[in-house]
Amino acid sequence: MRSPAADRRRPTLWDGVVALVVVALAALLVFLLRPAGGSNLTAVITLDGVQVAQYQLDQLDQPITLTVDEGTYPLTIRAEQGRICIEHSDCPSQDCVRTGWISKPGQQIICLPNRLIISLFGSEPEPFDAVTG
Amino acid sequence: MKRFFLLLCCLTVLTGCAAPAANPEPAQAQFFSMDTLMSIRVYNEGGEDALQAARQEIEKLDKLLSRTDPDSQISLLNSHAGDGTLVLLDAQVTDLLTFAKSVSQLLPGCFDITIAPVMDAWGFTTEERHVPTAEALTAAMALVDSGKLTVDEAASAARLEQAGMEVDLGAVAKGFAAGRADAVLREEGVTSALLDLGGNVTAIGSKLDGSAWQVAVKDPQNTSEALCVLSLKDQTASTSGGYERYFEENGQIYHHIIDPETGYPADSGLLSVTVISSDHMLADALSTTLFVAGPEEALDFWRSREDFELVLCTQDNRVIVTEGLEAGYRPAGEDRGYTYEIARR
Repeated sequence: MRSPAADRRRPTLWDGVVALVVVALAALLVFLLRPAGGSNLTAVITLDGVQVAQYQLDQLDQPITLTVDEGTYPLTIRAEQGRICIEHSDCPSQDCVRTGWISKPGQQIICLPNRLIISLFGSEPEPFDAVTG
Repeated sequence: MKRFFLLLCCLTVLTGCAAPAANPEPAQAQFFSMDTLMSIRVYNEGGEDALQAARQEIEKLDKLLSRTDPDSQISLLNSHAGDGTLVLLDAQVTDLLTFAKSVSQLLPGCFDITIAPVMDAWGFTTEERHVPTAEALTAAMALVDSGKLTVDEAASAARLEQAGMEVDLGAVAKGFAAGRADAVLREEGVTSALLDLGGNVTAIGSKLDGSAWQVAVKDPQNTSEALCVLSLKDQTASTSGGYERYFEENGQIYHHIIDPETGYPADSGLLSVTVISSDHMLADALSTTLFVAGPEEALDFWRSREDFELVLCTQDNRVIVTEGLEAGYRPAGEDRGYTYEIARR
């Protein structure tokens, strides 16, 4: 004996409700599991392996200037909303100053004589696994 | 009841879809060695021990090969230049010297590990860079001749025949270190790792999902951007370019890749050379050598061999990619005026 439900060919109101609930919950899940707000662009500054500063670049309202004078050549770092650079260095080579601004996760500024590294991290995935050059 | 069971199934599937894909954090270390910044990332589970073993291997090699460390074997060799002493060396150092001499013979005039006195004259080994006087440059050039570096492989020893000569292995040491680190990692069972030894990227195996590593080549005119992206497995990509270290004097830019024939920064029409090879040491040595050689000679040399591929960026904004890379590469600098072409054999 066939059940009444098996005899129905057209979707009922309840089928529509179930579909709507699934779609609504899916949208809710996507919303809840999205990456945390913004790019979370964070600059981490290390001197010979020791962290000396960390800035949330996407949340900076005012530029920040940091002087690092513990290394061989004193230098000045400038951080603004979304970017950071070495503004000045007493090092005659100026390699780190010439690197200019960096603003993307995965980028680094390296000062070899001071063993200073500025590294950018973010919540957005980096487009490459590594960079040669 | 069926409806709610269906709802449950749908939600289970959707939860799986919506959750971020599992992306395990690699064991990783970043450290200074060989006068550059290096990083090692090991993606296999429990890769920390392997990583530390590879790092120790690189640091051990740095102690052997550094020209600025007075206790290194290269410093010992240099200190005996011209006094007739055959200096006993670690077998690895002898192998490296033999290899470097062989590269000098492959492309005569484009590569010489005895270029060190000229690098010193330009101040590239210190931070005090300057254009040398004609007298200083002539005197330094008189000391450049890897033919006067005698290597006795059987005795694992070497001798510099002229006083004042010096060997600097900066153009090959990172490639050699990559090869040794690769071997150590594999001995430890690693199948998925990335080495970045001062911009020389070595891809060990593949990603954990079996796909190739995506390695960007830096745009030599805008180093925050990519020139192109390569797909690599079990290969090193080594790049040399004049943009890496340079200085400006009287409005003229002088970079650090010195042409052994002229004693001046190489001006061969290239902005950068990237060599891709499963021979890590060859990739490192050839990137410098072919930058000095220039685009035509570099492509002729590539056509004569089967063991490497090239990305050449020329001064007129052409990016020449050799055909072995064609399937896995993608251009990334068209909006900056670059044009891309495939070189064929």
